[in-house]
Amino acid sequence: MKKLHIVGIIVIAVAIGVIFVSLKNTSTYADFTEAISNPDKEFHVVGKLDRAQPQIYDPRVNPDEFLFSMIDNKGVMKQVVLHKSKPQDFEKSEQIVLIGKMQGDNFHANDILMKCPSKYNDGKSQIN
Amino acid sequence: MNSIEYVGERLWAGNLGNAFVVLSFVAALLSFFSYYISSKDRSLLQLARFAFNLHSLAVIGIISTLFFMLFNHFFEYQYVFQHSNKEMNMKYILSCFWEGQEGSFLLWTFWNVVLGLILKRQLKNGEWESPVMTVFSLVQVFLASMILGVYVLEYKVGSNPFLLLREHPDYNNLPMLQSATYVSKLNGRGLNPLLMNYWMTIHPPTLFLGFASTLVPFAFSIAALWNKQYTKWQAMALPWTYFGILVLGVGILMGGAWAYEALSFGGFWAWDPVENASLVPWLVLVAAGHTMIINKNKGGSLFTTHFLTISSFLLVLYSTFLTRSGVLGNASVHAFTDLGMTGQLVLYVLTFILISVALLIRDDLYRISYLVISFLLLAFATFYGYKKIILMGWISASAIVTGLSYYFYFPKEKEEEELFSREFWMFLGSLVLILSALIITYFTSIPVINKLFNTDYAPPKVPVYNTWMIPFTVVLMILIGASQFLKYKKTDSRKFLKRISYSFLLALVFGTVCSIPFYFLGNFSNAGSAEKWNLVSYALLLITALFAAIANADYFITVLKGKISKSGAAIAHVGFALLMLGALISTSKKVVLSQNTAERKVSSLGEGYDDKKSILLTQGDTLPMGPYLVTYSGQRREGIDVYFKVDYLKLNKDQKPEYEFSLEPRVQDNKRMNQKAPEPDTRHYLDRDIYTHVTYAIMDMDTSAKARNAFSSAKNYIGHVGDTIFSSNAIIVIDSLRSNLSKSEYEKNDSLLEVTAVLRCVDVRSREYYAYPQFIIKRNVVIPKEDIVEELGLKLVFWKVNPEDGTIEITLSEKQGNSRDFIVMEAYVFPYINVLWLGCLIMAIGTALAIIERIRKFRLLKE
Repeated sequence: MKKLHIVGIIVIAVAIGVIFVSLKNTSTYADFTEAISNPDKEFHVVGKLDRAQPQIYDPRVNPDEFLFSMIDNKGVMKQVVLHKSKPQDFEKSEQIVLIGKMQGDNFHANDILMKCPSKYNDGKSQIN
Repeated sequence: MNSIEYVGERLWAGNLGNAFVVLSFVAALLSFFSYYISSKDRSLLQLARFAFNLHSLAVIGIISTLFFMLFNHFFEYQYVFQHSNKEMNMKYILSCFWEGQEGSFLLWTFWNVVLGLILKRQLKNGEWESPVMTVFSLVQVFLASMILGVYVLEYKVGSNPFLLLREHPDYNNLPMLQSATYVSKLNGRGLNPLLMNYWMTIHPPTLFLGFASTLVPFAFSIAALWNKQYTKWQAMALPWTYFGILVLGVGILMGGAWAYEALSFGGFWAWDPVENASLVPWLVLVAAGHTMIINKNKGGSLFTTHFLTISSFLLVLYSTFLTRSGVLGNASVHAFTDLGMTGQLVLYVLTFILISVALLIRDDLYRISYLVISFLLLAFATFYGYKKIILMGWISASAIVTGLSYYFYFPKEKEEEELFSREFWMFLGSLVLILSALIITYFTSIPVINKLFNTDYAPPKVPVYNTWMIPFTVVLMILIGASQFLKYKKTDSRKFLKRISYSFLLALVFGTVCSIPFYFLGNFSNAGSAEKWNLVSYALLLITALFAAIANADYFITVLKGKISKSGAAIAHVGFALLMLGALISTSKKVVLSQNTAERKVSSLGEGYDDKKSILLTQGDTLPMGPYLVTYSGQRREGIDVYFKVDYLKLNKDQKPEYEFSLEPRVQDNKRMNQKAPEPDTRHYLDRDIYTHVTYAIMDMDTSAKARNAFSSAKNYIGHVGDTIFSSNAIIVIDSLRSNLSKSEYEKNDSLLEVTAVLRCVDVRSREYYAYPQFIIKRNVVIPKEDIVEELGLKLVFWKVNPEDGTIEITLSEKQGNSRDFIVMEAYVFPYINVLWLGCLIMAIGTALAIIERIRKFRLLKE
């Protein structure tokens, strides 16, 4: 059984290795302040659309560029450049998760997740 | 409030349903206890069988009642109200049934009942009947409790599908429910339109049958530990394990096909937590199936097989917890809503871990100590808190106990494993599967880890999964390719190496020839180090997957001589290798057709940023897109779907565009879910798919004549003669100015002055139109006279002359109909994706053949 034991040890080492390496590279949830102090590192930033600021989407210039402003959960507002087409139903979004990093004065996002108020859940009382 | 006498409520249906719910729970409990006791006292066996039959009847009763209510629109019940409506086509009634959590639990319960009844017959009067059915009944107790909907102390146990709308906490304050005759006015909300397709009819039952079939090997495994008979069970569990592998595998792949055909993930696999939650138990079940075969042919691997069969069932429970407790939150697109059953689901998982670990301990004193300590910890956690620490401590301790049980209680092989033996390589393969299952579980559980350790890690994205999983697949492919040619126990290594070298060389040559243009010519030298690593791993996977496919095909032809009944394994492995090959090529060689021509701005942002992947198509214009010329010809609405028709043309020999095909990706304007959901449209060829979906479109364009003829707000322009003004459809040149009087004449006799601006409008086809707006001064009053170019939908007003600098001011307004409809679209080519689907089919056929052969052998063994 010696060979199997060696194999077993290799398996455990690889598992721990993967977990360790991937944890170092995993993006974390953060706010804009943290993203500003760590430019060029990717973060997930949660916030709300700032409806008072302009939104610019002109697909004639670039269909993969959409500008808007988001207020993070700490109340910090930043202009966001989303390098994707403008999401359908964007105005309805209740909560936004941006995946991207700070560069210059803007937060550059390569992906966006939105939570829209769904009629499916309205009036739902959460039981915890 | 309850003083209202409601008219027309069909309370009998709910009462009947609830009677069945209670009966199914009580009968499952009775079945559990009587089967448990009958393992020692066989006189209770009749009662136990009766109780299980009763439970089965009750489950069928619940399902029939709910179907009856859905069929007959009993909207006073919340489940019927929420999941169906009067207008709905009855072919979707099955989808309505399992759209909600309660219905999907019922589906699972139903399959368990079906499998339980088959097993009960199969094992009748044998020594396995009582213990196996005890496990089945216990699982049914838990599942039946999921739809009880009662409160024990302040905890809610289960969510009941027979709740009246006015009793449901989400709806009981609706004003319409205050009317005594509300029932007659009700209509349901209907099925979510996104789920109105045949996938929703076939995918959930297949997947849940797959989940249910993991219970069979688990029940045998637990029964064996309990009976202290560690070997016999495997022969009985083996066909069931492969049945589970087949059904669960098909269910998962159906999910992938659904995503590819009807959802706009942009592919067939997105590593979504819900997908992973069904993939992981499958991987572990496959590993279990292989260690069972090792055991059957050579003995050994007892502990591993127990560990894996138990794990695959526990992982099904764990994924139920992940997807239904709401713990995933933002991490998944389709996690179920939280029904407040998190505690119950956790208890469910923990109970079965407790039972499994306790049974692994062979020594009664230690076993009882483990149970007592666990209960004390549970009590402490419930009443005093420290839940997280106790939970983590208990799980770690249970893992250590499992390890110690293996060390002390399970027989060990005395001989060293042979390096060149089939069992060793199969065992390695199982380990690779377990390792990948472990890593996927870890990635998927990041939201759980965040809750436990108060961290804030984000769930990993698709490329992270791909990067980690490819190396494991490479190793797996080598093992799959080689191990067929190895014999059990000992193989002559020289013969073996010679035998596989043909397949290997063929794969190496062909794979390398393909890899060089695929991955290494082009921009390999410019790629970043992470990207280089990916490209190398693609090439390795290409070569090894080819090797696995060729070697197994070789084994099928030359060794098995094409004998179908013996070839299940070889065929299934060819299928799996093709599946991986198809997935690799279609993903790594995916071509973005919809490249836009905007100036690139994202290169400094590094990997993961791409602002060139979508294209703007304006109605009527023809644009080059990849090898095609594409024209967006307009939108049409059908019900809630808006279709966007895009025509594809290609230049023929004479360089003239020729029509090839049209695709109509659509966006579902889903009022019910309050969202606009894009659905792709795909053109299938034998060697490639052209996959398109609309990412942005203006869907509520008012296309009525009145709206199109209305002028939009005007824009003001100041300029000299010779200047140009741009409208959306023409260039307008201020050609000249004409006046009826000279300046001196006007100054002399204060009479009527008419200045006419001659505006030359040139449209995109170079046709010229003239507009003559006038600027009139009559007795010092300015009267501008507009002119309209009907052909272009332009209105021009000349309303000021500035004598100081000689400029004039003109306002331009355009008809609303001038702003043309447009869409933003993404289009990809997935090359050789049919290899993937072919692989799925071959794998399913191979697995089915293997099951038939196992059942045949098992029958022979019994006779």
